[in-house]
Amino acid sequence: MRNRVRALRQERDLSQATLAAALGVSRQTINSIENGRYLPSLPLALAIARHFDLIVEEIFDADE
Amino acid sequence: MPTNDTKQRSAQQWVVPGVAIAGGIAYLIAGIVGDDLGFGIFGLVVMVTVTVVVLAMRGRSETLKGLLDRRDERIVQLDLKATAFAGNVLIGAVLIAFVVEIARGQDGSPYGILGAIAGVAYLVSLIWLRVRE
Repeated sequence: MRNRVRALRQERDLSQATLAAALGVSRQTINSIENGRYLPSLPLALAIARHFDLIVEEIFDADE
Repeated sequence: MPTNDTKQRSAQQWVVPGVAIAGGIAYLIAGIVGDDLGFGIFGLVVMVTVTVVVLAMRGRSETLKGLLDRRDERIVQLDLKATAFAGNVLIGAVLIAFVVEIARGQDGSPYGILGAIAGVAYLVSLIWLRVRE
């Protein structure tokens, strides 16, 4: 499953640490999500989507 | 104003240090009761040292911090997987030791009891989780 978390974060000029603090997770977790090594839970995926003011499907793509 | 969730997480970060200190005190009491004060003091010192090191390092390690405060879902999952792996290794070792003891003509104790405890704990946990989730 691919995601656009890194691109969205960089568009908004956020560091991994800043995004991690906003979502209540560690910087390592943001890094793992961006690299596709960790698939976040539904609550965390929703929190990421809300943070970027998008819906989950606009960030995570199961088809690719 | 702290929420219940914040209070719970704040309390949660003291579970591991609390268990470690309680273990150290148990070692000390066992040493005193078993007339081996040296073991008791050594055990307490080791557990207190581990606790102090863990608490001191949590500001430098996201993993340690996550293991203590349980806020990061990925680290909580890593902890669960590592715990399951360690449990499987332990159960495997107990079963091997049980078989070896039987082969040596012994009754397999205490490994048979330990294996039975692990099996019952697994079944109870599975049934509980099945009902709950």
